Amino acid sequence: MNIESSYTFKGVSQELLWKTLQDKESLRRSLPGCKSFEEIAPHTYKSELGINIGPVKGVFTGDVRQVDIKEPESYRLLVIGKGKPGEIDAKADMVLEETEAGTTLICRAEVKVTGVLAAAGQRVMSGVAKVILGQFFKDIEKETKEMAKL
Amino acid sequence: MAIEDREVTVVVNGQERSAAVEPRKLLVHYLRDDLGLTGTHIGCDTSQCGACSIMVNGEAVKSCTMLAVQAEGSEITTVEGLGSIEHLHPMQQSFWEEHGLQCGYCTPGVIMAMLGLLKENPNPSEEEIREGMEGVICRCTGYQFIVSAVQKAAKLMAEAEEQKEETLVANLVREGTHNG
Amino acid sequence: MANVIGASLKRKEDPRLLTGNGRFSDDIQLPGMLHAVILRSPHAHAKIKKIHAEEALKSQGVVAVYTGKDLEGKIGPVPSSWLVPDANLKEAPQYPLAIDYVRYVGDGVALIIAEDRYVARDALDLIEVEYEVLPAVVHQKEAMQEGVPLVHGDIENNIALHWKAGEVADEIINDAEVVVRESFYVQRVFPSPLETRAAIGQYDAGSGELTLWCTSQNPHIHRMVLSDVLGISEAKLRVIAPDMGGGFGGKIGVYPDEALVGYAARDLKRPVKWIEQRSEHFTASNAGRDEIIDVELAGKRDGTLLAIRVKNTANLGAYLSTMGPGVATIDFGLMITGAYDIPHASCETFGVYTNTTPTDAYRGAGKPEATYQIERIIDLYAREIGMDPIELRRKNFVRKEAFPYTNAQGLLYDSGDYEKPLEKALETLNYEELRQKQRELSKQGKLIGIGFSTYVELCGFGPSEVAGAIGFQGGVWENSTVRVHPSGKVTVYCGTSPHGQGHATTFGQVVAEKLGIPMDDIELVFSDTKSISMGWGTYGSRSTAVGGAAVSIAADRVVEKAKKIAAHELEASEEDIVFENGKFQVKGVPGQQRTFQEIAKSANMAWNLPEGMEPSLEAQSFFKPENFVYPFGTHAAVVEIDKDTGEIELKRYVCVDDVGRVINPLTAEGQVHGGIAQGVGQALWEGAVYSKDGQLLSGTLMDYALPKARFFPRIESAFTETPSPVNPLGAKGVGETGTTASIAAVMNAVMDALKPYNVKDIEMPLTSEKVWRAIQDGEGN
Repeated sequence: MNIESSYTFKGVSQELLWKTLQDKESLRRSLPGCKSFEEIAPHTYKSELGINIGPVKGVFTGDVRQVDIKEPESYRLLVIGKGKPGEIDAKADMVLEETEAGTTLICRAEVKVTGVLAAAGQRVMSGVAKVILGQFFKDIEKETKEMAKL
Repeated sequence: MAIEDREVTVVVNGQERSAAVEPRKLLVHYLRDDLGLTGTHIGCDTSQCGACSIMVNGEAVKSCTMLAVQAEGSEITTVEGLGSIEHLHPMQQSFWEEHGLQCGYCTPGVIMAMLGLLKENPNPSEEEIREGMEGVICRCTGYQFIVSAVQKAAKLMAEAEEQKEETLVANLVREGTHNG
Repeated sequence: MANVIGASLKRKEDPRLLTGNGRFSDDIQLPGMLHAVILRSPHAHAKIKKIHAEEALKSQGVVAVYTGKDLEGKIGPVPSSWLVPDANLKEAPQYPLAIDYVRYVGDGVALIIAEDRYVARDALDLIEVEYEVLPAVVHQKEAMQEGVPLVHGDIENNIALHWKAGEVADEIINDAEVVVRESFYVQRVFPSPLETRAAIGQYDAGSGELTLWCTSQNPHIHRMVLSDVLGISEAKLRVIAPDMGGGFGGKIGVYPDEALVGYAARDLKRPVKWIEQRSEHFTASNAGRDEIIDVELAGKRDGTLLAIRVKNTANLGAYLSTMGPGVATIDFGLMITGAYDIPHASCETFGVYTNTTPTDAYRGAGKPEATYQIERIIDLYAREIGMDPIELRRKNFVRKEAFPYTNAQGLLYDSGDYEKPLEKALETLNYEELRQKQRELSKQGKLIGIGFSTYVELCGFGPSEVAGAIGFQGGVWENSTVRVHPSGKVTVYCGTSPHGQGHATTFGQVVAEKLGIPMDDIELVFSDTKSISMGWGTYGSRSTAVGGAAVSIAADRVVEKAKKIAAHELEASEEDIVFENGKFQVKGVPGQQRTFQEIAKSANMAWNLPEGMEPSLEAQSFFKPENFVYPFGTHAAVVEIDKDTGEIELKRYVCVDDVGRVINPLTAEGQVHGGIAQGVGQALWEGAVYSKDGQLLSGTLMDYALPKARFFPRIESAFTETPSPVNPLGAKGVGETGTTASIAAVMNAVMDALKPYNVKDIEMPLTSEKVWRAIQDGEGN
């Protein structure tokens, strides 16, 4: 399944957005349902996320790794998550594009799921994923404001 | 379990029954496993099939969509509370006569759902019966003989109702004569 | 009682089912019973690196956890029962729990036993399995290509079997005036009995007897196979099929799960119950069909058909199921000429392993597919030569005079009169007028379609010698004992195993008619290997034609013996005794008679029997039919399609079936209705959807569309009766005719409606979107 979503951070520079997206604390606060988030190696995090997709509810533990980092334009996120409802294997390309209005963050993800997630969640997942991403973008926007103060 | 069991008391088929169950227990499991009323069946795990339909406070409900604790204090009718083998309820009698069942697994739920339908619409058309079966699945019959059974049941139940009224009127008249 | 055969009696089995007094698997509660759940693979293909069960075992209420490794050497693989010969069959062993590799989503990985069903399900989440995910293959044609992942490392190109029957020379096809070619996909569907599968094991340590209640259409086959898998004597394994909420082929299979439950009950010396969840059922229970059928039909421009050449590529899933190998080969390949006298035929079948749930027999098993391809291609042929599809059918029907008729693949059709049901169906439809109306409405822009399926079906499995020759690991004869008690009441034991068909009624009718006693005096016993010596179960529309015949013969034998006793008591010669309406009467001497009940008492008391006669009144029959039986008929569907949305409305459905002698018209019609609903379901709504990596996306009843009541018009059903010469009842089979016929009838109707757009095929199920697209892409748009 492919998911594509983008968000424009008005008046936020590419550099500021990049900094926010690389900040562990900002990420922890912005990831929806985040219960824990720790850096176990450079650019590699272990996290616990509570996810609620339609009929599928559960806590996912997962590894998040950033690769192909091209500061400040793009990076690739590799997510492997595991939870009661099934497993998630996602590869997401995150692209930061500076525009006149600010910076647009484009997320293009290829997601594979198993278990109940595949059987029951599939129909609603791309929609819900967009909602979750939208929430994430909004929270990151708040974080950029905090970041700008520093 | 971490969460303590709760005592759940219901009036089922006219009898007060209770059992201590986990708060997460589904009503259908409570009826089947704790109260031993195994006439109500389970056909799916997503509330599609309707095999577990029962009457809760006079309304047809899929008993897999409720927790036992939510039913506390309610009045429940299951298939065991309709008629007996010797004296079938008109709905059961009609299913028998019209061959409205094959394996019989969906039957108790379908019967309950159809009693719910007749309560709202005592004289439904074929189309209304078919629409009314939206919440139940039968894999054996192709539904046609179920439709015939419900049509017959509607007739039998209306006749019984009429007879009841007639008897009532006759009794009133007799009483009136007696008193007069 | 006379004239009971042929009467629409109410069913004996209903009052208990209607009042909640049925006894289905999950209704069985035994003291000290444990609950089992099975952890299943979420991956279509993976190596099991490690299983961590410690957490689960620590959980309160969890009694045991077994993995494939734990059971290695203790419990054997579950074999297929249809080892099709001359097909280079390669059977990969299916162990009850996966040992090193999982091969489909749903493959069993661990068995958890707990005190309570909720606790058992909780424990599922506490087991962690480390997998190394491997590439999977889902589609059968892809699976045969070079370089794709192998489901079983040592089976090349994933080919489980390669089978051929018949020969059609290239010249016949190349030189023919007309050749019509099409590729049809008969998609994967789920039998979907409303009750899922279940098993309950109880071990008696003292006697060493293991009792296994399980959802089985054939408890004796279960006993035979499982005694071997579990290493227990058949004499110590009792298999009981309790009341069952349908089967439709999905409960023929001997599954790993049943072996596991039996094993655990014996190992733990406590009763163990396993009830399959519905969403589990979608991946853990065998699916049906999934065959890609390439057809070539050759003939003359005047409509004379000469040859049919078929290739079937069947998806068998990750393992060979109990009957899986026989479906796309024997069942399908020998019936490809259908009801037509086509002199040359050949079928080549590839059975292919993929990383999906195994497929097995589903209502009709091979015959719906065979009917589908011939009935679809014959319509396309008619279109090609500009002939009415009915006329083309008539021209090529096997003639009434030709029976018994040997088809091009060597099967001997027992009896038939194909014109008769066709005529009756056309009359009911008012065919000519209907075509006229279709033309008028088409001028108004309405899309009406009329489709036919004039099928013939092979059923009544069957002659034992043939079963042996086609590699079926069973005898498929039938067994019945009619036991008359001193009171004259009767118990009848039968080797078939009904689960909704109503055999207690139909077989009861046979006994009531033969013995002249009331239905209420007859009890029927099925589905218990301890009380019934042997039997081969209920599938392939065999129960009445084979099992009912055994009942009939056993009852005749009872009468034969009773007659001798009556003659002895009445001091008459046996030839002078007439048996009518339950009374043995001396011919021409009114008043000189004995009732059946009197003779029953005499036989059981044995105070005064003819010299040399053994006491009691009981007879057994082992009936081995000499041939299969071949029901036939005409099904017709009328549809209307909404041009703007692609939505199909089934307006009318007319069927005339000839299933030989009908024992109970009411229950026979019920079978026809149910069969039609499943066939129409396949054509219009049902279909398994797998993702490329082998995840089942249609894995709940929210996603898999089972037919609902409002989807159907009133079915207009009738019978004609052409008795079968194969059994004493003259009966054929009725359980599968509806499904066999209806898929093609509905599809042909839709194709007929879409004729203005020159649409020749749409892959089933015909969702509105697919139909709408076909209209958009069609000619003239």
